[in-house]
Amino acid sequence: MAGALTERDFVEKLEKAGFGDIKVHLREQVSVDDLALYPLFTDEIIELMRTLISSDRLEAVATSLIVTAKRRAGHLSP
Amino acid sequence: MHSDDVKDIVREAYGAIDSSTEAVAYKLYSPEELAGVPRSAIERALDVGNHLAFADIERGETILDLGCGGGIDSILAAQRTGPGGRVIALDFLPEMLERTAAAADEVGLDNVQTLEAEMEAIPLPEASIDHVISNGVINLSPRKRRVLAECARVLRPGGKLSVADLTVGDEELPPEILTHPATWAG
Ligand SMILES: C[S@@+](CC[C@H](N)C(=O)[O-])C[C@H]1O[C@@H](n2cnc3c(N)ncnc32)[C@H](O)[C@@H]1O
Repeated sequence: MAGALTERDFVEKLEKAGFGDIKVHLREQVSVDDLALYPLFTDEIIELMRTLISSDRLEAVATSLIVTAKRRAGHLSP
Repeated sequence: MHSDDVKDIVREAYGAIDSSTEAVAYKLYSPEELAGVPRSAIERALDVGNHLAFADIERGETILDLGCGGGIDSILAAQRTGPGGRVIALDFLPEMLERTAAAADEVGLDNVQTLEAEMEAIPLPEASIDHVISNGVINLSPRKRRVLAECARVLRPGGKLSVADLTVGDEELPPEILTHPATWAG
């Protein structure tokens, strides 16, 4: 998650890589409680999040995005 | 953080998971969708969304599942593409590939093939894939531009990409959290 892009950057990188017809179908807020379902987020980091992140942001620390796109025809830039 | 350090953290973190993550599967997929998925794959789900609900998978497609993990999406995609198509399940951890292959065997699917590789250098010919699917994986790469370029290279022109992934807002999280190894892996 620390390396995640913003939606804008993600879509821009898709365009640059040679994708078109890019559609964002769903954006779902990911809360700290949601992250706690994944064992990668240890009790320690979840606790740190609950302590350091302002209460109004705990419900939306990231967004889960669903995107579809199509590979454009023609030459791809290297 | 250095690119190789991030990769090492990700490898180590995913290799060490030994608890069930079935709550993730039950949160994101309907009981109908999960009905044909073996328990072993449900218990290893690390998805961040249900991209397959929006993926236009046609019968006979060759599908690449980028970062297949325990195989839940590879199984679902293999069932939808049918015996005339196939799923190439790619992951850089051999234990994930073993789980995916075992899950496919368990439900009698012989159209799932595993591929040990890094998503930044996909060992497949250009234009050899009809559809790339990926769930919760691209955000883990320190070289996302390269990953997307690889997806475009292996896809045939007009080929499809269906992705679920984590994104963040413009406002950054506190540095103590952003620099913690757990947030680079998760
Ligand atoms: C969050 S899990 C998602 C697994 C699966 N897609 C799912 O939804 O359950 C991320 C997976 O990507 C794999 N992975 C992470 N970085 C990778 C890389 N650079 N190349 C290949 N696989 C990678 C991990 O081993 C892990 O299995």
